[in-house]
Amino acid sequence: MRNPKFQIILGSLSALCLAACGSGTDTSRKDSVADTAARTSSGALMASACSGCHSSDAGAIASFEAYDQSGLEQRLLDYKSDENGTTVMHRLARGYSDADIALVSAFLSEMRDAT
Amino acid sequence: MIGAFDRRQLLQSAVLGLGVGALPLNAVGQSSARIVIVGGGFGGSSAARLLSSLLPEAKITLVEANATYTACPFSNLVLGTDRPLSAQRFTYDALKSGGIEIANDRAVNVDPELKFVTLAGGQSLTYDRLILSPGIDLRWNAIEGYTQAAADLLPHAWKAGPQTTLLKSQLDALADGENVVMTVPPAPYRCPPGPYERASMIAHYLKARRPRSKLIVLDAKDQFSKMALFQEAWAEHYPDHIEWRGAIDDGGITRVDASTNSVFTDFDEISAPVINVIPPQKAGAIADVAGVSDATGWCPIDPISFESRLQSDIHVIGDATIAAPMPKSAFSANLQAKVCAIAVARSLSGIAPEPTVLANTCYSYTTPDEAISIAGVYNNEGGRLSSVSGAGGVSPLGADKTVRNAEAAQAEHWFSTITAEAFG
Repeated sequence: MRNPKFQIILGSLSALCLAACGSGTDTSRKDSVADTAARTSSGALMASACSGCHSSDAGAIASFEAYDQSGLEQRLLDYKSDENGTTVMHRLARGYSDADIALVSAFLSEMRDAT
Repeated sequence: MIGAFDRRQLLQSAVLGLGVGALPLNAVGQSSARIVIVGGGFGGSSAARLLSSLLPEAKITLVEANATYTACPFSNLVLGTDRPLSAQRFTYDALKSGGIEIANDRAVNVDPELKFVTLAGGQSLTYDRLILSPGIDLRWNAIEGYTQAAADLLPHAWKAGPQTTLLKSQLDALADGENVVMTVPPAPYRCPPGPYERASMIAHYLKARRPRSKLIVLDAKDQFSKMALFQEAWAEHYPDHIEWRGAIDDGGITRVDASTNSVFTDFDEISAPVINVIPPQKAGAIADVAGVSDATGWCPIDPISFESRLQSDIHVIGDATIAAPMPKSAFSANLQAKVCAIAVARSLSGIAPEPTVLANTCYSYTTPDEAISIAGVYNNEGGRLSSVSGAGGVSPLGADKTVRNAEAAQAEHWFSTITAEAFG
């Protein structure tokens, strides 16, 4: 089983947000709505399909952290075009347009760089 | 250098859309939002955690009757290998420490007009948005003789936990040469390839420990998920330990008798010391109470927001939904939870939800170190989920053992990642 401390740390997502964002800042409703729009953007929405399998832990399934934006985009395009590929990722990548792949790659690399 | 825990956390928050520079939400509509989530499986727990990070000021309550969650994916390995059931268990500690209130009780009623949920203990929870992730209920008596009491003798083990332990103990008590029977219902049901992974794991167990015994699978269907791949694996690994009968070979069962350990088809009666009845299913009972299920027993939803087609401000995610071609899987429930949470966060902020591309992946073990997979990609525009043509599909037939070993390793990694995202 997992280390309980690990679970607690992972569980503190809202605390992380407040810490990362600086709590106590007054924001107008307009700013707040704009913020929600950013945090629930098309890229965030589409990339939510990735995090069920991919995390920062590298292993049998690749970590996001291995690639920058162009590297990630190229890797996904390679998966998409490789007709002999045997993995789940080959079959999944074929369902995304090049624009979708660019969107997801931009979002994930932006988040990677932000950290 | 960032520590492993921090990196994972940052990554997770990144995927959730929390960038540096994001600000807490103080808008009146958001800060006062009360969100109630019923069901703490892959869907409900994932939704609670994402909403908690997207709307840190909202009051989020997760209603779950069990103190710990016992995951179904990988529970077939508990039956066929030495994997302990404890490896399937997850607590809600991470959710609690993340500010999510856990109501350790059963939801018994929903008032969609006055917008509150009543718990078995009498407590009422008012909501602005309700997310139901109730999973499945078994349709007792849909097969004549298969009652809740009969399941104590003929386990379904289609909800992991005591039923898994019961089926495992029955296998352990089997004498060499005695047979095991499994019955499989018509679609739709939780985890389409699940019965066939289970057949593989039981056959593996029999081959190793009861070599003169075999598993007889009585199936209400003639075709099933990853069929050619499973049959290839069975021919290679278990030629003497699995006998599969489809509908055309009188595989559909009409009745069971728990007192004699028998199952009946149109033309046959089969008795065995171990009978695993996987019965027909429906959405969890609270869906009926809330008025979000239809005549099929499942819940029609808007595929962009996962809001019920039948009740406003109630969303339904996971196995309970009518989301075909997206299957009833843990992956689907987890992704639907995230798509729904983002839609709810946008909606509470006055921003319309938007369509996207969804996906699914399901791995199935055929031996303890070999697995096969199916994947799908879906659009949710035009009021329905539809498969993206040219994408998805199953592992290659006739592939090298290294391909199967790699997918088994990926399956294990997937389980670790998705349970960390859902439960911490």
